Amino acid sequence: MVLLMLSKEEVLKIAQLARLELSPEEVVFFQNRLGRVLDYMKELNGVKLEAAATVRHVPEDAEPFREDVVEEAFDREAIMRNAPALDEGGFSLPAILESE
Amino acid sequence: MTDLNNKYEAVIGLEVHAQLLTKSKMFCSCANQFGAAINANICPVCTGQPGALPAVNRQAIELGVRAAMALNCQIRNESIFARKNYFYPDLPKGYQISQYEKPFCEKGSLTVRLKSGEQKQFGITRIHFEEDAGKNVHASHGTVVNLNRAGVPLIEIVSEPDMRTSHEAGQYLRALHSILQFGDICDGNMEQGNFRCDANISVRKRGDSKFGTKVELKNINSFRFVEKAIEYEIERQIDLVEKGEAIRQQTRTWNSSKNITELMREKESAHDYRYFPDPDLAPLVISEAWIKSIRSQMPEMPSQVLARFQKDYALSEYDAGVLTATKELASFYEQTAAKSKNPKASANWVANELLGRLNAAGKEIANSPVKAQQLGDLVTRIDQGEISGKIAKTVFEEMFLTGRNPAEIIKEKGLVQISDTGAIEVAIDKVIAANPSQVADYKAGKVKLLGFFVGQVMKETQGQANPGMVNELVKKKLD
Amino acid sequence: MSSLHSLDIQSLLAGYQKNDFSVQEVAKSCLEAISKKNPQLNALLEVSKDRVLARAAELDQKKSDAQRLKLFGVPIAIKDNILVKDWQCTAGSKILQGYRSPYTATTVARLEAEGAVVLGKANCDEFAMGSSNESSAFGPCRNPWDLERVPGGSSGGSAAAVAGSLCPAALGSDTGGSIRQPASLCGLVGIKPSYGRVSRFGAIAYASSLDQVGPLGKTVWDSARVLEVISGWDRFDATTSKAPVPSYSDALKESTLKGLKFGFCKSWLEGVDPAVQKAFENSMQLLKQAGAEIVEIDLPYTKYSLSVYYLIAPSEASSNLARYDGVHYGFRAPEFKDSETLYNRSRGQGFGKEVKLRIMLGTYALSAGYYDAFYLKATQVRKMIQQDFSNAFKKCDAVLTPTSPSTAFKLGEKSDDPLKMYLSDVFTLPVNLAGLPAVSIPCGLDDLRLPIGLQIIGRPFDELRLLQMARVHESLFGVLKHP
Repeated sequence: MVLLMLSKEEVLKIAQLARLELSPEEVVFFQNRLGRVLDYMKELNGVKLEAAATVRHVPEDAEPFREDVVEEAFDREAIMRNAPALDEGGFSLPAILESE
Repeated sequence: MTDLNNKYEAVIGLEVHAQLLTKSKMFCSCANQFGAAINANICPVCTGQPGALPAVNRQAIELGVRAAMALNCQIRNESIFARKNYFYPDLPKGYQISQYEKPFCEKGSLTVRLKSGEQKQFGITRIHFEEDAGKNVHASHGTVVNLNRAGVPLIEIVSEPDMRTSHEAGQYLRALHSILQFGDICDGNMEQGNFRCDANISVRKRGDSKFGTKVELKNINSFRFVEKAIEYEIERQIDLVEKGEAIRQQTRTWNSSKNITELMREKESAHDYRYFPDPDLAPLVISEAWIKSIRSQMPEMPSQVLARFQKDYALSEYDAGVLTATKELASFYEQTAAKSKNPKASANWVANELLGRLNAAGKEIANSPVKAQQLGDLVTRIDQGEISGKIAKTVFEEMFLTGRNPAEIIKEKGLVQISDTGAIEVAIDKVIAANPSQVADYKAGKVKLLGFFVGQVMKETQGQANPGMVNELVKKKLD
Repeated sequence: MSSLHSLDIQSLLAGYQKNDFSVQEVAKSCLEAISKKNPQLNALLEVSKDRVLARAAELDQKKSDAQRLKLFGVPIAIKDNILVKDWQCTAGSKILQGYRSPYTATTVARLEAEGAVVLGKANCDEFAMGSSNESSAFGPCRNPWDLERVPGGSSGGSAAAVAGSLCPAALGSDTGGSIRQPASLCGLVGIKPSYGRVSRFGAIAYASSLDQVGPLGKTVWDSARVLEVISGWDRFDATTSKAPVPSYSDALKESTLKGLKFGFCKSWLEGVDPAVQKAFENSMQLLKQAGAEIVEIDLPYTKYSLSVYYLIAPSEASSNLARYDGVHYGFRAPEFKDSETLYNRSRGQGFGKEVKLRIMLGTYALSAGYYDAFYLKATQVRKMIQQDFSNAFKKCDAVLTPTSPSTAFKLGEKSDDPLKMYLSDVFTLPVNLAGLPAVSIPCGLDDLRLPIGLQIIGRPFDELRLLQMARVHESLFGVLKHP
């Protein structure tokens, strides 16, 4: 059985995309684990499909829309109370280095 | 520079984000309201709380479909909401609900009038729905996030890279802005940020079919700057190419105080947004029946209003064009014309006197001190002979400064036109008596002196005599 | 009566109607049981004595409601990934430690509207990712049948609370088996409704196209009653169906298997514990005796369920968990130098290993260059699995499987090997992929007196008949006597 291991660079690249800081031990752990799991998934490559359709999981009779009505303002305090840091009513954090 | 302009051409594409005029946000019932207190319009959905789910605002879809129709797009009966995944403090869910592979419409066009008089058509690649992000406000010790704007409905309108000059780009934007306004789709207020424009600009030698490296120009937040900014950027790029330097793929912004474009950031490798269909939402179905119904209720588009003004009010294409620049202006004009029952004169007053005065004062038609009813009233009084056209200008000036009604001003300043033959004749007699040599010259054949006498009579009556009548009576008296 | 906490819902409702006891008495009995047994079980993470007793007192003031409210005075534990306003909601994770829910989930609001008492927040695998409750940041949960063993997961705390008789019922969530598998390991009746039957609003999302909220109870009637209360269209969840909700509990009286066919897949029994196989075959006999026909069916694409699930679920999860960033709520790393490290450290330190693994897996599967081969392919094979079941339902009215290939394993036994752990869901995963309703009911005990579960899978939105089938089996097999 060929065990696939992801390279360190690949793991770090994914970790950065996912904004996860990993310890060196974790990097090795994920190199192995992810490699193993992804290797297992390769079985899907061989699956022949009758059609390229994907599943529609939402029930056909679901209501697609809501009406354009403004409802009573939500209790904002209940939301703001969980903020790690507030400054003049806004969620505060250190200056952004780069923007998207 | 003209030589360089002959050697090179610019290739410009525009992306416009327009906030839709709905009462509530795209996926929740918080108010869609500019200028509210910080974090006042928030709820679990638009702040991305654990367990919150989106519910699509039907009206937002209607407005988007209106835009699609106004821009001649092909509407997809089934389109997909997709998640655009990235991390940023003004994006509480860590993804933006947008549309990617299957936007709700594509392949449209916008025909625009250039200053040369030429009508040019520009392609529209696609329009899709998405939600707006919150706002990062830079404060003294870092950043503060306000989520009022998070979740506001947007349509993103992407043009084909069809524009070749900054003028074309400017006209495209004005035309698009006008359509969205007339369609009650978007307010189009650039300063408030509900109509945002980004430009992609590149240059190439004329005749070249390959595109040059494109530079993204962001945060152009005023119509005044659009053409300036694009023009500057084109020149900057041509300059670099002439020197043999490479154009770097960058994002730049316009610095309105220095009148230059500046580097915002270098473009790193394309972001990996990991788009996938949003599993919390069903495919967006826009049926033919719904499209038909929306079409039947479409507000008048600028081109339709323009045609109607020409037909119903006998205005020239040029005048109609001026008066349909914005929805408010067109509406203002129509109200004035209705009140005065003199569309031609109303057009003149609105397009020349009022607009001129507003521009000088830096005001918009929306906050004009002179209301349409008042202006219409003024025109009526001229038509009825109560005041002359000349006096009316004085009255108008006072109306503009004080906002008062013409009747009040005319009465207060005693400006009622003198149309009483008796009174005019008294003035004429006075003038004739005071100018014997001119009388003699006139009778000798210098008929041009008629103007002199009329002028003197007007002076004598403080300009209040009915000029037409003066003319007639002077002639009678002298002949 | 100090054993009020052990009464099932049906008995409680009858008792209230006859005025045998008050809600406060029942509540106190549950609280007492909690203080005695929860330290060992670690089934409940937050219990607020004040809130519980206040609510009980409030209900005792409205005794007349006992006649019409469907869950009057019934204490229910809520899995800690479902929000109840002002209570904590940790999802078993450090990253939400201290978070106070700003709103109440629709399902819980419906329970409360019918007179239920929220008893406490139940322990679970972190962000519902797991099959043993061992990945909870707040300690593992123990199986009341054997304290050295896991209760199953991810709704381990919910199962332990009910099996340990702390309360008669609990809400759990099920993405790949997280209600059914713990129900099986703890001898309970656990229902995963059809996708779209029950609102997900207020249930912390793991995999949005697979998640469903459902009940765990000691009897079919109890679970059916809770299900009918929480089911139905919700304007806050655009994926809920408008199909009417019948009274599942009332319909149980007409339970019959006459004319019904059950399908089963022989190949599935390979690799299953002998005790489980024996109990499963015994159940098939019972169902035959009750008048049903058993037919063999084939579900060829379900052999890919593990791969399909472990691509789709982590992909959706990687996106759903992006909101936990230390900016607007939740854990913020104590030390960081800029916004970049704030994100990376808050998430790196706040999430546990299994969650990080799945986020990485999902991020990879969705990333440029891999999307087609992984995520897209998985969604296409998922359609084939859904098709397999559609085809099977032309030949039978329900599909039978063991719920889990084994009984409760020892704490720590499977945590080292990911695939081993994932394989405990091999019978439950395909059901979520196909969006079908399924129930796990007790069907035996192994030599160590550990419960074995039978899974019955029904057609979409066929919960009524599904529960009737379960009721027939229960009437023949009986209800387990919990420790």
